[in-house]
Amino acid sequence: MPVVHEFSIAEAIATQVLSYAPVGRRLRGVEIRVGALRGLDSEALQMAWEAVTFGTSMAESVLAVDQRPWSITCSECGREWTSPVPFVSCSCGNQTPSPTGGDELDLLAVTVDEEDGEEAT
Amino acid sequence: MGESIRTVRVPIVERVLEANDEIAAKTRAELGRRGIFSIDLIGAPGSGKTALLEATLQRLAGRRRPAVLVGDLATRRDGDRLARWCERVVQISTGEGCHLEAGQVRDALGDVDLEGVDLLFIENVGNLICPVGFDLGQTSKVGLFSLTEGDDKAAKHPYLVTAADLILLNKLDLAPYLTFDRAGFEADVRLLNPTVPIIDISATTGAGFDDWLAWLDRGLAGRHN
Repeated sequence: MPVVHEFSIAEAIATQVLSYAPVGRRLRGVEIRVGALRGLDSEALQMAWEAVTFGTSMAESVLAVDQRPWSITCSECGREWTSPVPFVSCSCGNQTPSPTGGDELDLLAVTVDEEDGEEAT
Repeated sequence: MGESIRTVRVPIVERVLEANDEIAAKTRAELGRRGIFSIDLIGAPGSGKTALLEATLQRLAGRRRPAVLVGDLATRRDGDRLARWCERVVQISTGEGCHLEAGQVRDALGDVDLEGVDLLFIENVGNLICPVGFDLGQTSKVGLFSLTEGDDKAAKHPYLVTAADLILLNKLDLAPYLTFDRAGFEADVRLLNPTVPIIDISATTGAGFDDWLAWLDRGLAGRHN
């Protein structure tokens, strides 16, 4: 897996997170959603996140990746299902069902420490 | 001390590459205003991106006014090769970056006199994965594959195949020496992208260049799709 790819995405996420995380409060977690087309490996992305945030205010935060699967449609029997890989055969025997995937790459939420008594935002 | 700490989840929901895409949108508007047809050329290292552009620029001489931006990790070699055929070439050294980003393209365009330019070629860094997700502001994405890479490359890079407005299959001249399942390659492409045109070419012999140049002409005339 080309980790360098995940590295550049992790850097983009870090830049964006910094613009949201309130100053002085510890970042605990980051949630992202990744479409199947992006070809991002969750494990590699987490390694890259650790490396990119090391020594920063975001260090030790957890990157949670909601990896969206491929949608598979069989043109022979009409069955629709999801799969982590695009090229799969159908239970009806069709070797070439059509894969479609999204290319979303979204920052969904950040989790930060909050001081006691503070209003949630 | 004495304060208890709890955590709060702050919902955001924003595209991670929002900043990149905003720059790309401005570039697209500017190129569109100037009537420039632009392509982002994406292909693996060694697929023949620079050779394709050299052969293309030779054939466009005298009838088009192209400009070229070329991304390269470390050297100026690609830019030097292309500068023999085109006055307006800007090399973008990406350092460790595995792809071009919209800001680099915007900055490089600032170094080109775009007056009278009608075609812009952006040669991305040799890589089939990373560049696909970064909008540069181009009109069209062209995916370059080659026979020497093997017939499974389309299947292994679904994002590029899905995103491509044109697929070029290069090194046609080597076909007699290789076992390349051309029908299988196309079948994989069709599963992912039923409508993308595929042109078999050879940057060495010029085979397929009539179709490729005609595709560029149609793009310039705004007649794709």
